[in-house]
Amino acid sequence: MEAEVLEAELVLPTYLSFKRVQMYEKYPKGQSRGRHWKHLKQILQAENYRNYPPDEPNYVNIESPPSMHPCKRLCDMTGYEAPYYDPRTNLRYANAEVFKLVRSLPSEYVQRYLALRNAAVVLK
Amino acid sequence: MVCFCSQLNRPGQRHWSIIFSTASRERLKKKKMPFISKIKRQTDYNLFPSSTPIVIDNGASYFRIGWAGETEPRVIFRNIVQRPRHKTTGETVSIVGDHDPALLKYFDCTRSGPRSAFDNDVVYQFEIMEYILDFAFDRLGANGSGIDHPVLITECVCNPVHSRSKMAELLFETYGVPSVAFGVDTAFSYKYNQQHGICGQDGLAICPGFSTTHVIPFVGGEPVYRGSCRTNIGGYHVTDYLKQLLSLKYPHHMARLTWEKVEDLKMEHCYIAPDYFSEARLFQKGTKEAEDKTRCWQLPWVPPPTEEPPSEEEIARKAAIKERQGQRLREMAEAKRSSRINELENELHGLGFLLRQLEQVEANDIPSFLSATGYVSKQEIESSLAKVTQSLRKAKGEPKSEQAEVEEKTEASMNEKYPLIHIPDNMLTSEQVLNPKEPKLKKKKKKCIIIAIVIKLLLAMVSIQLKEKRRQIFLKTTTEGRQRAKQKRVEEGLERERKNQEDEERRLENPELYAEQMRAKYKELSERIDQRKRLKTNGSHTNGNNTSGGVGRGERLNAAQRERMRLLTTAAFDRGKGEDTFGAKDEDWQLYKLMSRDNDDDDEGAEADEAELARVSSRLQEIDPKFVPKQELVPPQSAAEAPRLRPLTKEDFQIVLGVERFRCPEILYHPNLVGIDQVGLDEMTGVSIRRLPSKDEDLEQRLTSSIFMTGGCCLFPGMSQRLEAGIRMIRPCGAPINVVRALDPVLDAWRGASLYAAKLQFTEQTFTRMDYYEKGEDWLRRYQLRYTL
Repeated sequence: MEAEVLEAELVLPTYLSFKRVQMYEKYPKGQSRGRHWKHLKQILQAENYRNYPPDEPNYVNIESPPSMHPCKRLCDMTGYEAPYYDPRTNLRYANAEVFKLVRSLPSEYVQRYLALRNAAVVLK
Repeated sequence: MVCFCSQLNRPGQRHWSIIFSTASRERLKKKKMPFISKIKRQTDYNLFPSSTPIVIDNGASYFRIGWAGETEPRVIFRNIVQRPRHKTTGETVSIVGDHDPALLKYFDCTRSGPRSAFDNDVVYQFEIMEYILDFAFDRLGANGSGIDHPVLITECVCNPVHSRSKMAELLFETYGVPSVAFGVDTAFSYKYNQQHGICGQDGLAICPGFSTTHVIPFVGGEPVYRGSCRTNIGGYHVTDYLKQLLSLKYPHHMARLTWEKVEDLKMEHCYIAPDYFSEARLFQKGTKEAEDKTRCWQLPWVPPPTEEPPSEEEIARKAAIKERQGQRLREMAEAKRSSRINELENELHGLGFLLRQLEQVEANDIPSFLSATGYVSKQEIESSLAKVTQSLRKAKGEPKSEQAEVEEKTEASMNEKYPLIHIPDNMLTSEQVLNPKEPKLKKKKKKCIIIAIVIKLLLAMVSIQLKEKRRQIFLKTTTEGRQRAKQKRVEEGLERERKNQEDEERRLENPELYAEQMRAKYKELSERIDQRKRLKTNGSHTNGNNTSGGVGRGERLNAAQRERMRLLTTAAFDRGKGEDTFGAKDEDWQLYKLMSRDNDDDDEGAEADEAELARVSSRLQEIDPKFVPKQELVPPQSAAEAPRLRPLTKEDFQIVLGVERFRCPEILYHPNLVGIDQVGLDEMTGVSIRRLPSKDEDLEQRLTSSIFMTGGCCLFPGMSQRLEAGIRMIRPCGAPINVVRALDPVLDAWRGASLYAAKLQFTEQTFTRMDYYEKGEDWLRRYQLRYTL
């Protein structure tokens, strides 16, 4: 290790005195390190919130509902108000100059702009 | 336009130097840096008794740890872990938190991005959590065996029991903590501010955090989780949105737009507009206010070194050097030439001498004499003599006007060389065939061998003669062809010269009119070329979802291309009635020529046009100082390379933040803008109040009169006004609305927790290891902290 790295104490030491079980004992090197940790979705599924009274607040309960207001139509490229949208690419645009830009975008950029709005076509 | 640059020195310590342009005199406001990492190892761990709790604020963005009762956490760092490999030793190490990127160059960070233990705001990756806790306790100064202090740790609202139990297990088993308490950070912040009188006992706490936003109503000092509400949008999404927008707008600066840098930009420049569309309209119209609000970030850019016009001395010096070099080259050439001349002269003398000797020698001994010298006959010697004299003359550098003579000579010699051509076939004799250069055979030998030879010759005569004749015809025609081509070129050159002369005359007599004509011609040509280009390239690449592309193309093809398509389709799908007689006639095969793309006259036309255009534009440039040749319309795919066609200017390296400044935080109020189908901040209050178990108008009024904001995201300027306006829209008319902000939205959660843990009754709220194992998971699920002690 280089001197300055040691001095900055960048690296986490492998042995820590206050721990009862060290990391290398807990997660031995040979075994697959990608320990299968449950993702949030799986955790929530395992919680079985259905078995409990619905009044009780739990993680899923308190999630917000969809919005009541009509969704704001913003131009994808410039951010101005966009009353129009391009049927070919599904992008929203504000005026004719922006439309020229929209029509001249390569396909990759179109998809990225749409992905910002979560409207991209995802082929699985 | 107000332009200022911001520079980032280290992620751990953020300073930025703000340079203002003089356009608008604004007071230099010293911004308070909200987040600073502190990772110095603490030394006073052992001074604290076992009863002092350790307080941890486990946030999705930052991890704060310290002692109960203090006002500042001791250690703060970003809640991420990296596991890069060391470049030289190859071992994989863990690095917790954000560090000086200069030190990270010793590690290979490509495979390991920073990883967080959180998913939304729930801890799910406990291996990473363990690394983080290791690091935190280590920096707090822990030594000895085990952490012997009670621990108060924060979690998200309604944390799933799986996560809670794993966390408790980690703390109990691995660190040996005696007792643990879980609390919600927003509640701690609320209580802290309540004690300071910012908010009342009943109120609404709004916490836009890093990855989520919560709204929790407080009744009687306790949070009512049933009425709480969570939207999965936070500071992370704002930064991500800004990063993507900038990357799409400036694709060639993508390397510069790292996540940390964009976060800094967001913290420094983003604000919330009171009304989005009116603000956007300002920018759309390009008003002065919009100009003032635009910020531009100047990337470091070194202008290419301008070549100064060389000074007089430089020029003189360079000229002298060139002169000397030229002199040296000339001397060398001279020396070489003189040596060659000497050689040739020697050879000439030798050959002359040989010839003279030959004359003296008897006719009989000629062959033997000649074989000694290496030449076969007198003619050969004479011809080589002639060659040598010619090259000598050339070497001596006689003027080129003699080339005509030489050419004539070559012509003459050509006639000599091709004597056979002029002789008709049947008159070719054996002698000429055998020795085209030696018509005279030795008379003596003739008598001896003629009988045998003539027979052979007569048999092979014709074919050889013909072959020879054909060869000579071929040679002659090729040389003649070459000469003709040369002549044509000369003529063309003369023609062009003449045309230029005419042009010049026309220009001189009427410069204006001439310029006008030129310009008109230029415009027409360029339009034609553009149109052709557009036709050619329009159908293929401009749009991704090219649903109507196939249909539209047919309209735009010109007649020739349409004809070609028709031929192709008929050829492909032709079933053929009866016998197929294609190919019986030669003309049928011409069809393929029509079909082939190479015969597109469009291309030829285009080339001619382009050449013409180039000529006209160069002419215009000469005569008209104001003329600027129109840049070729670079096809839009290489729009990113367009700036490189002209020299890069300072402007190319500026990143302009105009609309993005208030577009990005807008997603907190409208998550629909990024595709998250949930309510925004202002509506969340309505939802939360609606969800309250008891419908009490009085209570609602009390709630709205103390709306408390905390969390990192509430530091955006303009947040309070916007929130107030938004809530006013959904509450009944005349309801009291009062939006207050926490004293320190970032650290108040920790401070509240610290105050709480310092109270005596805190120990009643914790649970020990025994509790955890005895009472089981169900109890843990129902475990809630009581915040009013």
